[in-house]
Amino acid sequence: MPQISSVINQVQASQHAITAMLTALESIILGKPKACRLALACLLAQGHLLIEDLPGMGKTTLAHALAATLGLRYQRTQFTNDLLPADIVGFSIFDKETKRFKLHKGPIFNQVVLADEINRASPKTQSALLEAMAEHQVSIDGITYELPEPFFVIATQNPLFHAGTYPLPESQLDRFMMRLSLGFPDINAEKKMLLNATERTQQTPSGDNAERAVIITEQALRVMQNVVTQIHVSNEVIDYIIALSHVSRRAYTQQGSQQSDLEINCKPLSPRASKALLQAAKAMAFIDSRDYVLPDDVQAVFYAVCQHRLEIHPNQQLARSSTNNNSLANQVLNSVDVINPLFY
Amino acid sequence: MIFFNAKAKHKVKESTQTKRVIAFSLHRKNAWLLWLCQCLNIAVIALELSTWLLAIISVLLAWQAFLLHNNKKQASIKAVHQNHQLRKHLDNQLQNQQNKPFTTHVSSILLTVFAVLGCIVIAIKANQVGILASMVHLLCFSYVLKAFELKNRRDFYQLFLLGLFVLASALIFRQNLTSSLITLALLIINLAVLLQLFTPVRSFFTHIKVIIMLLAQSVLLAVVLFLVFPRLSPFWQVPLTQSAETGLSDRVKPGDIANLSRSSALAFRADFGQQAVPPYSQLYWRAMVLENFDGKQWTRNKLTAKNKRVLAVNSIDTSVTALSYQITVEPSFQRYLFTLAPAISDQENKTVISHDDYTVSSEKTITQAKSYQLTSYLSAPLTFALSKENRLANLYYPQGSNPKLEQLALQLQHNYPNVQARAQAVLARINTQSFSYTLQPPLLINNSLDQFFFETQAGFCVHYASAFTFIMRASGIPARLVTGYLGGEYNGTNNILGSTGQWSSQGHLSIYQYDAHAWSEIWVAGKGWLRIDPTSAVDPQRINSGWSRQLLQEQSLLNQELFSLYQLKNIAWLNTLRLQFDALDYQWTRWVIGFTRKQQTDVFKRWFGHRASWKTALILTLSLLVSVAIILFSIDFFNRPKRATVPLKKWQLWYQKALTLLANYGLEKPAAMTVTDFTQQVQAHYPRLAIAFSRLSASYNRLCYQSLSTSEQAELLLVMQQQYHDFVHLVKSDNHKAS
Repeated sequence: MPQISSVINQVQASQHAITAMLTALESIILGKPKACRLALACLLAQGHLLIEDLPGMGKTTLAHALAATLGLRYQRTQFTNDLLPADIVGFSIFDKETKRFKLHKGPIFNQVVLADEINRASPKTQSALLEAMAEHQVSIDGITYELPEPFFVIATQNPLFHAGTYPLPESQLDRFMMRLSLGFPDINAEKKMLLNATERTQQTPSGDNAERAVIITEQALRVMQNVVTQIHVSNEVIDYIIALSHVSRRAYTQQGSQQSDLEINCKPLSPRASKALLQAAKAMAFIDSRDYVLPDDVQAVFYAVCQHRLEIHPNQQLARSSTNNNSLANQVLNSVDVINPLFY
Repeated sequence: MIFFNAKAKHKVKESTQTKRVIAFSLHRKNAWLLWLCQCLNIAVIALELSTWLLAIISVLLAWQAFLLHNNKKQASIKAVHQNHQLRKHLDNQLQNQQNKPFTTHVSSILLTVFAVLGCIVIAIKANQVGILASMVHLLCFSYVLKAFELKNRRDFYQLFLLGLFVLASALIFRQNLTSSLITLALLIINLAVLLQLFTPVRSFFTHIKVIIMLLAQSVLLAVVLFLVFPRLSPFWQVPLTQSAETGLSDRVKPGDIANLSRSSALAFRADFGQQAVPPYSQLYWRAMVLENFDGKQWTRNKLTAKNKRVLAVNSIDTSVTALSYQITVEPSFQRYLFTLAPAISDQENKTVISHDDYTVSSEKTITQAKSYQLTSYLSAPLTFALSKENRLANLYYPQGSNPKLEQLALQLQHNYPNVQARAQAVLARINTQSFSYTLQPPLLINNSLDQFFFETQAGFCVHYASAFTFIMRASGIPARLVTGYLGGEYNGTNNILGSTGQWSSQGHLSIYQYDAHAWSEIWVAGKGWLRIDPTSAVDPQRINSGWSRQLLQEQSLLNQELFSLYQLKNIAWLNTLRLQFDALDYQWTRWVIGFTRKQQTDVFKRWFGHRASWKTALILTLSLLVSVAIILFSIDFFNRPKRATVPLKKWQLWYQKALTLLANYGLEKPAAMTVTDFTQQVQAHYPRLAIAFSRLSASYNRLCYQSLSTSEQAELLLVMQQQYHDFVHLVKSDNHKAS
């Protein structure tokens, strides 16, 4: 009993900070409350975030805002096609004075790594991020270094049909908990943004206002992440998640057979995906100040968590938006009964 | 490998939208199975086909086997989902498959030419073989040709159905137990091949098991249909194919019946019911009376054969013991029937015609098993009357055809003025001289009876009967040759019950072709026609108990069969087995094949009483409907996906009921919509209900998804119950208002 009440207490205690955080984010990324909530949920669930959209849609702004409001040490790395793995993880250099090799740490040793335009780098460089993302550690010259905690990778990428891009390998895609795309802002938001922009340049020409806006301290973030893991998940929700991933697997194995009852042409969801889905749903419940997960939370994060894992060909749906009714994620969602998930 | 790719390719070209295309193919193993199945199906009906067609068919089958063999290297490709990357590759592969010289696809032009030529040949030969046989020829020909153009699934179905047709048409010609069993076995194999195509993973024997199970399940329906389905007379005339005409011929030369005796095929069966079976030597089954003799062969007298006896009862002394029995004839494609003379046929049966010479014949050619009831008076004499023409006909012999015999006859006529004594003298002469009874009589020049009687002195029943009849005629006694069967094999139990001497027999008499026999009849004034069997003088055992050992040995030597009759009869268990099977076959013939329209109406009469035809029709329709309904229901039941039946919890039940209420209202919850989203829907459509429903939904969500202590849960349950009742109440009052 005390444990349960303590979770709800902690959830409610954090609520103020969450609201403040969301307000801050929404004031930077105008008219995209959903994307902001998802991005925050991703970080609370300790997942890495991939933001994909056309250039100039505010990807980098969102990434910056996230990193800045969390008050974490962050560094931005611009990925280019001649970027080498050593440029990210770092390298040992011979120090003439001490006559020793000295580790020159790369940008990855920050708490938040902003990998800008990640798909412009060659696959080799991209895979340098792999170990770091999965294990929270890097190996340089055979020595393994622990990365600072908390550790996030927030990557942005351009749509694949753009010139000079390499597709992310599936293994790497799977390691991003969520993929967000912002989409065009609506008229009001854009108008407001343009007005704001003129104001802001007048006030602070440097634009370096991020450091002032620290809302959640590192300590508070750790507590919140801990609370998120304690959010209650009922059997019914677990069943629902299993049913969702099962549908994608069934659709995958039945492709090409005559008796296929699912007309979804998708990749199967991995167990890692269902785990991520559960984590993200917990975080979503936390943001909604609940100490238990509802199927609504699962549905809210499903597109962001699963769409990039379901797509057989990257950029299958070119005009992508988070409310695409015909997306694979929605097709999967629509083939599972919420109330009786295992009765399909 | 046979590649069903035409359709698949078409699809690829037509629509780039379709992401996956199914290439339908036959495994190599399946292709061979199909081929084997075809061979077996053809083999069943092979006996009915002309030799030239069989030759064509075997060439085609061999050709197909050759093609199959050559396709060994082309690996089979199963159903493939074609991804973007794979598609190009597979397209190329498909084209390669097409271009390779050896597939069972023969160019369609060649196939068409072949088919047209075949049809022309069949049409030309149609006059010879008859319409049914030529249709069967066409069927078999197309069945074999179809295998060359298996391009998609449809073709395979067609081939399979043709195979079933071939099997069914084999049943037109033969319906006995053996061929029915063979057909059933082949049906199972055919169906298993069909199953194999769709689930190639499982073994063929599993399929056979499955098919047997399915067939066993359909037995009930089959029985109902068997009883109920109207017996239509065939629309075709079953023709006399080569294999058809069996049994005795209406023209007999010495040496003829010896050939027949090599066959151990069944001729007919006789069932005496509870009565005692007469002794072997009494069982002279009369088939034909041959009165005309031209010096070489005996033929029927057309005059007597045409004369129908209207009422036989008058001419027979019915005071002697009657013996009634039922005879079931195998299809002989002739018209004569068998009787123990003198006999009266069942008055009701119009299809059995009695003749003046105490033979009976069928109204139509016997193309399928036929049974009829007879009553015989074994000890009654045959007719006393002999018309002038008959007398002359039965005394006629070509003068000088057999001078030595004529001389002997004259001598006998002088020595023995008494007619019966004269006949006895001839028998005695046969008995005392070195005559022998054999299945391999030496060839006679010009069928000379002289040569037989004085030189070779070895022959079969016809030799003796012919010679005897000739001598009788030459010595002035009216005499005639009778052919038929002698004896029969009793199959069943035959007991004498207690001291009363009453017989209880359960079984039947089987008469085989090798029981064929010929004997003589002489006319004695005051006694009528007397049966005299000269065979008794040379081989008494043949008359009293059947074939002697020596004859059996001869037969097995002549036939050179693996399981000749001789061996069969020597090995006890094999013989028992043979008898058992014979009994089974008899029951089959009697109850299944013999279930004609008359029997059918009899059965209905017994069940539903007389004259109530509308009642019968009603009951039949109802029972058919019920059985079809049962079948449909059970199919539906077995095919329904098996759902785990988890008992619903209380809150689930309430929520579901609330949903049903809303659904009646016109708002249905999509399965994929969450509870919270649905409350918004309700809000939008029915604001009046919204508050109550959202309260209910919130409680449901909490009960379902929140972790609650038992006391909290109980409390919330009570709350939800109240909310549920409120909601129901609200909906009802709302309904009331609306109405």
